[in-house]
Amino acid sequence: MDTNAQAEVLLVDDEEMVITSVRAFLMLETEYNIHGFTSPEQAVKHMETHPVDVAISDYLMPKMNGIQMLSKAKDLQPEAARILLTGHADKQSAIRAINDVGLYHYLEKPWDNAQLLLIVRGAIERTQLLRRLQSMVSQLDDAHDSLKDIQTRLIKAFL
Amino acid sequence: MDRPTEVQNLEHEIATLREQMIAMNRLFSVGQLAAGVIHEINTPIASIFSNIEVLQKSLDVLERQMQDTATPKARQIVETMRSLLAVDRVACERISAIVRSLKTHARAGDEEFRDTAIEQLLDDSLRLIQADVKNRVTIQTEYEALPPVQSIPHLLGQAFLNILVNAAQAIPGEGSIIVRVKKQGDFAVIEIEDTGVGITIDCKNRLLAGGFTTKPLGEGTGLGLAISRQIVVDRHGGSLDFESEPGKGTTFFVRIPLRHQPAGEA
Repeated sequence: MDTNAQAEVLLVDDEEMVITSVRAFLMLETEYNIHGFTSPEQAVKHMETHPVDVAISDYLMPKMNGIQMLSKAKDLQPEAARILLTGHADKQSAIRAINDVGLYHYLEKPWDNAQLLLIVRGAIERTQLLRRLQSMVSQLDDAHDSLKDIQTRLIKAFL
Repeated sequence: MDRPTEVQNLEHEIATLREQMIAMNRLFSVGQLAAGVIHEINTPIASIFSNIEVLQKSLDVLERQMQDTATPKARQIVETMRSLLAVDRVACERISAIVRSLKTHARAGDEEFRDTAIEQLLDDSLRLIQADVKNRVTIQTEYEALPPVQSIPHLLGQAFLNILVNAAQAIPGEGSIIVRVKKQGDFAVIEIEDTGVGITIDCKNRLLAGGFTTKPLGEGTGLGLAISRQIVVDRHGGSLDFESEPGKGTTFFVRIPLRHQPAGEA
């Protein structure tokens, strides 16, 4: 069983069959919650209200391509890892994706399940570490603030 | 030469060129269609591949769950499913290999030199002609160990494919094609030998120039070898020669430098 059980995985592909296949595989191997969307717009809407650990998106989709989708994902939840899973492997789109969207990984179809699992696992771990770091930093900030407060009160008390 | 004959010759030449142009255009459209089809096939293949793996693993889990409680019939069903999945996987791998081969050849616009496994490139081209000659021509490969060669893979693949298609078409009934790869100094040497009809002396000289074909209309543009020569000689700084004996067969020799020397530095 995974250490990062109960992770939230967002999967976007206009082909239902890809979602079904990846979901079946991840459900067999992990305890992740998989949220599949054939419409990138709905995937973005989901991210507005639900934190995800990793967003995996196809590239060529009607209305919104994978880079646009992941760029919105980055705006909404910058710490969530982003993966492009594409059958349309042209170099320009890959470079753009890596540079503009800060991609965690670029995967080509047909994908290798073992590799996909390794990458998704790494992505989730990274996101969860980032979130823990963020919460620790904010705890540290709070502690620092209250320390400052105590210091001010102490100084006031002695003056 | 008197003028009417000259005009007639020129008219004939124009007609031939026009036919070639139409044939080229058709090939170009087919090529573009193929590139689109490859992309379309990729996703369903990926899906099937993944599903086969998931089903195989699910069967393992199922078998563990059944343990001693399963009836012989249930066991037999699980075994049948397992063997069918194994067949599906092999079938899928074959489709996938063909698609990969086509992909190598359809990467137009990509003009970068990269380290290439020549053997793989030849296998890709052989896989494509295999479907055409399956029960007629036996294909044999003799590859010596070779370091990666700097090439523009889809172009070099096209050159190999042209020569292989010619070899296959030169064999009227049954015959064989032998492909050898050797290293000679700083060059990779690829020999493609066929047991076809051979090339007559008259044809020899006109062959590499382009615009010459003995094939029926619609089967050849007469440009295959000229294009191959351009790819091998002009683009890769190699050489393309052949030896032929009418009635016995032809061997093509492609020499490609292992390291690419950009123009002006050679």
